[in-house]
Amino acid sequence: MGHVARLLEEAGIPTVIIAIRAFRRRLEMMTPPRALITPHLMGRPLGAPGDHERQRATILAALDLLESAKQAGTIVDLPGQYRPSQNLKSR
Amino acid sequence: MKTENTASESFKEFKGSFSYGSRSDLNFKFLAGLSDEEAAKFFQDLLWKLGDSFNDGKFDRLVDHVYEWQIRAYSGEGKWVYDEGAFTPLRKPVAESRLVLLTSSGHFVEGDDPEPFGVKNMTQKEAMARIGEFVKTEPALSVISINTPREKLRVRHGGYDIRGAQADPNVAFPLERLLELNQEGIIAELAPEAYSFVGACAQTPLLKHTAPQWVKMLQQQPVDAAILVPV
Repeated sequence: MGHVARLLEEAGIPTVIIAIRAFRRRLEMMTPPRALITPHLMGRPLGAPGDHERQRATILAALDLLESAKQAGTIVDLPGQYRPSQNLKSR
Repeated sequence: MKTENTASESFKEFKGSFSYGSRSDLNFKFLAGLSDEEAAKFFQDLLWKLGDSFNDGKFDRLVDHVYEWQIRAYSGEGKWVYDEGAFTPLRKPVAESRLVLLTSSGHFVEGDDPEPFGVKNMTQKEAMARIGEFVKTEPALSVISINTPREKLRVRHGGYDIRGAQADPNVAFPLERLLELNQEGIIAELAPEAYSFVGACAQTPLLKHTAPQWVKMLQQQPVDAAILVPV
């Protein structure tokens, strides 16, 4: 996805990447345009299933970054922790 | 396939079995890349913490333990290194912008299966078994109308544990959250189509051939910015 972001920016489309902390190092090395690093588990970059508040907060932080970043390689860490949600309803 | 519980299995084989082996578990495939000492420490601390949880009923420490080890396991340097990159400033605030969602989570709409390698209704299990082929193949882009009801969303990806994304697509494909923010006016507009592909794919063809086509398509829509979620 680092490559997709780079190509989009070259083509004039601003991007923000939302990626988990485990991917931080590899992403950093690609100098991504903007990346929000989430303290979440693999396969669940926006937060736990059913944790609407956390998912929302993650997107809002990404939108802030979209507006505030001034140069490529702007990487911001989302505070907080991954916590399983009690809200998850089985489908 | 190794048979389980063979007396002669080495610790190296045991830890390797979690990465597409007899005990394949994509949450823990990183075990294969740890040294024997590290993997032993992972299990020892996991069990110790589990013992604490028996007493206080708090299991968050297990989540944190796995989280820390996932970071540790992936702390090595990647193949792709760029010292600088293009940057396009956002032209207007998000509240006036049209955004598009693109993820590598492997989501698609029921009835519009990308059918990798021509296989109809490929199971997650088969996708895991064929991961070696996925990473050598150009990805297909699934087009997902933003009006797609949640129950019509499907996910298949041989590279990660999809159970979270099955339970709630928004953990990796946050369409519902984006729609809410759009309704509240925080995002002016969402592009009518969102996109997803299987991120475990051939990277050079993605860079040289596939992704440039996606970029052209998005330029033509047009969109003001893209939210990208690698999984």
